Parts: sequence; structure tokens; C-alpha cells
Amino acid sequence: MRTALILGFVVLTGTCGEISLTHAMKRVGEVHEFSPAAIWRVLLRSLHEVWLWIAVGLMAVSFYAFLTMLSWYPVSFVVPATSLAYVAGALGAKFLLRERLSATRWAGVVFISLGVALAWADMPTAQHLRNVYTVSRELIFAASLAPLAFYLFGAWAAWRFFRNRDRAAKDAGDFTPPVSILKPLRGLDLGAYENFASFCRQDYPQYEILFAVSNEEDPAVPVVRRLVRDFPEISIRLLVNAEAKGTNDKVGKLCLLAQEASYPLLVITDSDVRVAPDYLRKVTAIFRDPQVGAVTALYRALEAPSFGSVMDATGSLSFSGSALVARAIEGIKFTMGSTVAITRERLAEIGGFAPLLDMHSDDYELGRRVAQKGYRVELAPDPVDMEFPSEKLGDYLRHELRWLIGLRHVRPGGHFGLLMTQGIAWAAAAAVLAPSLAASAAWVLAYLIIRLFSGYVVGVRGLGDPVVRRKLWLLPLHDFFWFFLWLASFAVNRIEWRGLVFTLEKGRMIPVASRTGSG
Amino acid sequence: MGQIDSSVKTLKTKTYILLFLMMALGSVGNTIFDKGMKDLGPIDFSSGAAIWQGAFRTFTSSTIWAGICCMLLFMVCHMLVLSWADYSFVMLFSAITYALVPLLGYLWLGEYVPIARRIGIVLIVFGVFLVSRTPPRTTPSISNQSVS
Repeated sequence: MRTALILGFVVLTGTCGEISLTHAMKRVGEVHEFSPAAIWRVLLRSLHEVWLWIAVGLMAVSFYAFLTMLSWYPVSFVVPATSLAYVAGALGAKFLLRERLSATRWAGVVFISLGVALAWADMPTAQHLRNVYTVSRELIFAASLAPLAFYLFGAWAAWRFFRNRDRAAKDAGDFTPPVSILKPLRGLDLGAYENFASFCRQDYPQYEILFAVSNEEDPAVPVVRRLVRDFPEISIRLLVNAEAKGTNDKVGKLCLLAQEASYPLLVITDSDVRVAPDYLRKVTAIFRDPQVGAVTALYRALEAPSFGSVMDATGSLSFSGSALVARAIEGIKFTMGSTVAITRERLAEIGGFAPLLDMHSDDYELGRRVAQKGYRVELAPDPVDMEFPSEKLGDYLRHELRWLIGLRHVRPGGHFGLLMTQGIAWAAAAAVLAPSLAASAAWVLAYLIIRLFSGYVVGVRGLGDPVVRRKLWLLPLHDFFWFFLWLASFAVNRIEWRGLVFTLEKGRMIPVASRTGSG
Repeated sequence: MGQIDSSVKTLKTKTYILLFLMMALGSVGNTIFDKGMKDLGPIDFSSGAAIWQGAFRTFTSSTIWAGICCMLLFMVCHMLVLSWADYSFVMLFSAITYALVPLLGYLWLGEYVPIARRIGIVLIVFGVFLVSRTPPRTTPSISNQSVS
């Protein structure tokens, strides 16, 4: 374990140091002139970069750890082992510095790493292979602890968040600015009438609901008209013939809805969301704090009628866990389609909806932009309900893959970081490499117990999800699918969305070709 | 189009010049350190006074200071090249030193190079050749206003 730790430390600190140095020099700017005076000025400027000092610190620590390693092991082991830094450096360059590593450069990484390992390793190789195997095994054991820690942290974050929920609910009440609820629609979801009606039953003094559809033939139109008849006391408007503006049809409709909305606070929810009568009060109360830029909400499944939708529901539990971890570490920096509440003022600051017209993950992106402006994105105290449609496993896998591809484009570092949350894969690797059958069983058991415990705390106790309560035991199966979907999301760049095929470029959807018969 | 070709050529030229300077300064600096420390003999760590004496001898050695100067210049070249080139390009390209050291040892000093090491050298050279086929910069350039 000592070998793995010191090797990991040398590689990590060295790579982070080099990446910090690169970042510092990129901030200083490209050097064009090479006279001694000009170079001197560049060096002086670089001294003002805090990243340079971080780099110096990290590289000094790495160098000291390298010397320590040399005092423990022969150079013929240390140099080949630290060739791992080429792989770590390439990954850091791609995900942190956003460099574009072509297949040729990746091939260079592989050849150089192998070459350094071979050129500096002593023969015979059997001992070195044994060393490499031992170190790799120890590294995998150490890494396998990360997802378990992540699950436990998620459970703690959920416990902390939901413990404060009642206090937040008490605070809600007297801050009730007028609200426009915006509902872009396309087709009908399961339980659509009940979903829409839940917004008409809000215990809230002044609000309106605006729906938008592309044309009169949309099956949602008669449902909205019935709603207008059934709730005459609520201001409900239906906008038809919403003109398609960008590749993201939903954002196109939101542009129109925001234009037509009468009130200063906008609440946008997906069409399959159902809410409790105190939903608006609880969401708007959070805006009492002027530093809050947007509010979003976790979600839970009302019903999941098929195996695919059960997987979807357990997936939402997983996502909620990750969101709560993100909240505990750095605060929420995104919003979710379940609820995006934002004031007109903040919306104007991020340029309105128009910049999101071609974005794939529009809801995520909106929250990110609000957070970038220095405002907080908060979670509503209660989750909203969603009626998961009966879907086949293939449909579930396709839309999860689409979501992962979208995440890779908007937040590549976060997408790559999912590696350390893949509990089932790490537990399987640790179980295979464990020295005895009992140790293998212990790894698997530890994963199952901690994963299910975390799922119980987040999904059952926190979200109160009835589907998760019944099907919690399927969570490891969700993790199994999720791991392969995550791997696939590195290789795939095309997504199918509402019958059209797109490729993604920096989060923007570029249409490729249209397909018929799906949607 | 001609302007783009010319700027790409300039970028490549200055990148390669600095990379070769880095390699030369790094190798020379390490060799000088090696020679300087061997000339000084083993440092005695038996007492605090002995350590201070060793440190004094080290930092008053002109050979060691020549090595420090080489390594400082190496660092300056490294910083300059990173102001425009990709880290992944610079890092991989500078791996050529791992191949050069045993190769120079074989060519100049007649050291024995076992077969696995020869294969390793070939792999490194081929890897660096592949990297040299990729553009040195894949991220947008930020101009240094005060310097340009």
C-alpha cells in the first residue's frame, strides 16, 4: 500500500503542478518577442499569477516525494512506475486544460509510457511485472474506497439537507411575489391532466400559467382547454403555433412564454411534473434572499409501470444523491428540468433564453450561467413528483446515454469524475484482485451494504420515493447499466432526440438527419 | 491563407527551438549536477554541524551553481513554451530525454544497452514522432499585450 500511495502522490502532485504552471502561463498570454527585456517582463508578470505559486509548491512537493521514492526503491523501478504521469498528464490536459487530444497524440501517450517503462526497467522483467501487478492492485483497492466514501458522503449530505427541510418550510409564507408558471409542451405525458391540475391547485395569492405548443394538432391542446374550463379562477393561457427558433424546441417555446409572461418571477417545470399545493410558496420563499439567482428541485417517481421506468426511478435517486453531494461541497451550480425558478432580472443578466436555443442540456446550462454570475442556486425543500411512463429498457438506456453525452459536453471534468462514483465496477475489480475468497466477498458486501444504505437514506427517508422504497434492491443493477452507459458515452457523440439525430459540439446540438416514426 | 500558413510555421519553429533548448539545458544541467555532487563526495548526515557544512560546500561550488543556472534557464524555456503550446504536447515531446540518455550512453561511452531498453528507446522515439505530427497548440491563443 505504501508503494501505491507514494507513487500516486508523486504522479498526482507532479501532474497537478505542471497543469497549474500551464494554466498560469496561458493566463500570462502567448509570448511573441524573445529579447531579454521582453522575457524578463513575462517572468515578472508570471510572478503575479497565483497559479504559478501553486505550481511551484506542488512541483516541490512532488520532487521531494520522488526523492523519497528513490530512497526506498531502485531507479529502475521508480522511473518506469512514474511514467504513469504521461497518462495522468494527458488526462489532465484534456479535462482540465481543455486541450484537444487527437487519436495520434493518444497513441503517442501509449508508446511513450510503454517506452519509458521498458527503457528504464531492469531485466529480468518477471520481478517488475510482479511489482507492477502489486502496485496496480493496491491502487485499485485504494480507488475502490472512493465510491464507498462518495455514497456515505451522499447519505450524510441528504440527511443534513432533509433535516433542515422543516425549518425551511416554516420560513415559507409571507414572501409571495406574483409568479408566471411556464409550461412548454410537446405531446402528452402519462397523467398529464393531473400534472397540470396540480399547478392550478396552488395555495398562492397571485399567479398565472402559460402553456405553449407548436400547433393545434398537439394532443396536449384539448387537455389544456379542459383545464381552462375546470379552473376558471386561475389565469391560464395557451400559446399555439410557437415558431421553431433553434434546435432545442423547448427553449424556443420558453423564449415566447417569457415574452408573454406578466409577472417578475418565472417558474419553469417539465410537463411530467406534479406538485403539492404549497409548492409555489416554498419555491418563492427562497428568493427572499437577494443572493439567490435560481431555484431548482429534486424529483421522485410517483409510479414506474415497467422495468425500464423502475431503472429510471432508481437513476433519479442516484442523481439526487450526486446533486446533494455537489451542494454540500461547492453549492449547486446547475438547475434541473423538474423546476427552474428565476426572476426576470437574473434571466436578463444571463442574456435570457436565447443563448440556450441550440443547447442540449438547457436547464443545466441555465443554472450554470446563473452561478457563474455569482448568484446562488438553491434546492427547493421538497422534491417534485414525476409520473414515469412505461418505457422499455432500450428507451431508458438511450435517454440515459443521451444525458451522459450531454454532461460530457457541458462539464467534461464532472463527467470524467463519475469514474470515482462507479461503485459496482470498482467493487468487482477489487473482488477479482483480492487475495482470498473471503476478501472478495467482503468487497462486494461492503459495496452492497453501503450502496443500499445510501439509497435508503437519500431515496426512501429523504425523497420519500415510493418506487425506490419498493425497488431499492434493484439499485446495484442500475449501477451496472450506468457503468457501461458511462463508458459508451466517451465513444458516442450522436444523440437522437424527438425523432431527430444530432451531434453535439460544446453542448450545442447540430442536426445530422431526420428520422421518422420516433419521438 | 498564406498568413495562416506563416503563423503556423512560426508557432512550430519557436516551439521546436524552445523544446530543443529545454532538452539541452535539462541534460547539461543534470550532468553538471551529477559531476558537481560527485566532486564534493558523499554528504555527511551524522550531525547537524556536518549537514550545515555539506550544504555550505554544495552552495559554494561553482559547478553546482553552473547546474542551477542551467536548470533555471530550462525552467524559463519551459514556462515560455507553455505560454502558447499544449501541455500534452510539451510533456510528451520532452520524454525524448528518456531515450537520449541511454542512447548517448551507448554512442559516447560505449555502455551496454540491453534489448528491452533498445525496444523502449524505439517506442519513445516513435511516440514522440507521432506527437510531432500533431499541432503544438489546440486551444485558443491569448496574446500577451504588454510583450508583443
